[in-house]
Amino acid sequence: MAFQRLGLGHGIGLRTKHFGQFESQPSPVDWVEVVTENFMAQGGRPIALLEKVRRDTPVVLHGVSLSIGSIEPLSIRYLDDLARLVERIQPAMVTDHLCWGTWCGRYFHDLLPLPYTEESLVHVTARVEALQERLGRQVLLENPSAYVAYRDSTMTEWEFLAELSRRADCGILLDVNNIYVSAHNLGFDPIDYLDGIPADRVGQFHLAGHSDKGKFLLDTHDSPVAEPVWSLYREALRRFGRVATLVEWDDRIPPLAEVVAESRRAEAIEAEELGPALRRLAS
Amino acid sequence: MTLAQTQALLHEAITSGTELAPGLIEGCLASTRTLTSHESIEIYSNMYRWRLVAALREVFPNLSKHLGDGTFADLAEDYVRCHPSEHHDVGQIGKLLPAFLREHPDPERPYLAELAELEWARNEVFFAPDGPAMDAQVFNSIVPAKLASLRLQLVPSVRVLLLAQDAMDLWRRLENGEPPRPSASVRTTAVVWRRDFQVFHCNVSPREGGALRAARDGGTLGEVCACFEGSLDPTSEAFAAISSWLAERWLKGIA
Repeated sequence: MAFQRLGLGHGIGLRTKHFGQFESQPSPVDWVEVVTENFMAQGGRPIALLEKVRRDTPVVLHGVSLSIGSIEPLSIRYLDDLARLVERIQPAMVTDHLCWGTWCGRYFHDLLPLPYTEESLVHVTARVEALQERLGRQVLLENPSAYVAYRDSTMTEWEFLAELSRRADCGILLDVNNIYVSAHNLGFDPIDYLDGIPADRVGQFHLAGHSDKGKFLLDTHDSPVAEPVWSLYREALRRFGRVATLVEWDDRIPPLAEVVAESRRAEAIEAEELGPALRRLAS
Repeated sequence: MTLAQTQALLHEAITSGTELAPGLIEGCLASTRTLTSHESIEIYSNMYRWRLVAALREVFPNLSKHLGDGTFADLAEDYVRCHPSEHHDVGQIGKLLPAFLREHPDPERPYLAELAELEWARNEVFFAPDGPAMDAQVFNSIVPAKLASLRLQLVPSVRVLLLAQDAMDLWRRLENGEPPRPSASVRTTAVVWRRDFQVFHCNVSPREGGALRAARDGGTLGEVCACFEGSLDPTSEAFAAISSWLAERWLKGIA
């Protein structure tokens, strides 16, 4: 089966700080992403707002607790809650992370990279297939930011992600900031990463800010997108073409206009990079 | 090392806060360009603690304000060590904090558990499922002879708590930015409910509180009304109380 890329345009994360503006005004962006787990409760303001926004604006559900790489069985409770939310919201995409974050029923609430081995690949492939069957749709998995390198890894993260998307028939959410952060921390070339990803599997880009902690970069989502990440985004556009792009801002969140401005910048860069190609195509 | 062994080791290293046997981490993780394997693990350990403390602070803003950042973080870390997150929603992490504070009371601040209980109830009510409330006409149309054996049902977004009055006063003062003030520890029934997206709470009279707790616990209407015995006019008081519950949309139905 092929992966169907959706042309959603440019979006931002819908966060609590901006609920009031989304309640009272039309969405200022093409689409919004929400953290799935924050909207699983069956009542209250979050789900009511999401249903309102959904009427006019495509919504993407982005999970952080699926733990697709954990060795323990997928949580039935989680899958039931996710399936109920998908049914209720009918999102444009369902996404989560290539990571593990649970052990013996306990949640780290963090996104730990996996050792990239054949054992992990077989394990995760089976779980993605089970997830897609449960939801009746394809999902997209995002590359995590990494601060560890496993001795047992026998392939690179991009090789793993590419092979996983082929075997499990799922999409790839390419977080450009995470590639930059991991490349800096682990010492690989981010261009090698982009070159190793199959273009026909990429369904979404993420952009976000990070923090320089001296010895490492930390994926903090608390600042504007860094200039080197914008440059890497241009490289990604040249390789993958027009892809739905999201700006994430999750901590020290500024006024909505500032987040929207970052999304507009992504839109402008896309036009700069792809405009000539599209004109050539048209002529 | 298998995937299961790797995950068991990293879970221990990240959440235990203690040093593992020499060589274990180095055998699993390589040093990166700038970080040793132990420094890599420390990043995840710090984020693990920081994220859970932040989640607790969000659910218990006034408890955090009252204790101060440092003391609250110490409490939160002790609590998380005893009660690690077992729910995919990090917002559920605080569910057992009131009970934890009861098990480990601060002798100088015995009200902390109840302040936490009030904040947790407000959090639960905010996210509770929506549901239609019972119309007063439905209640009034019930044949009087049947009433005593029927049971009132509360809507999912109402909580009835038995709290010390000083916990409620403290919450109000913290919310308004006023200095905390010691007050008498009188027990009172608090009702927490939601209207649209706003959460409210109030205390009610001892008789009405008993009646609400009876309704919450599945008592018959006869048992609910019995809570007003001893008042000057029990029937009128019971009727007034139930009418106000209907008006506030606290009742889902009667069965």
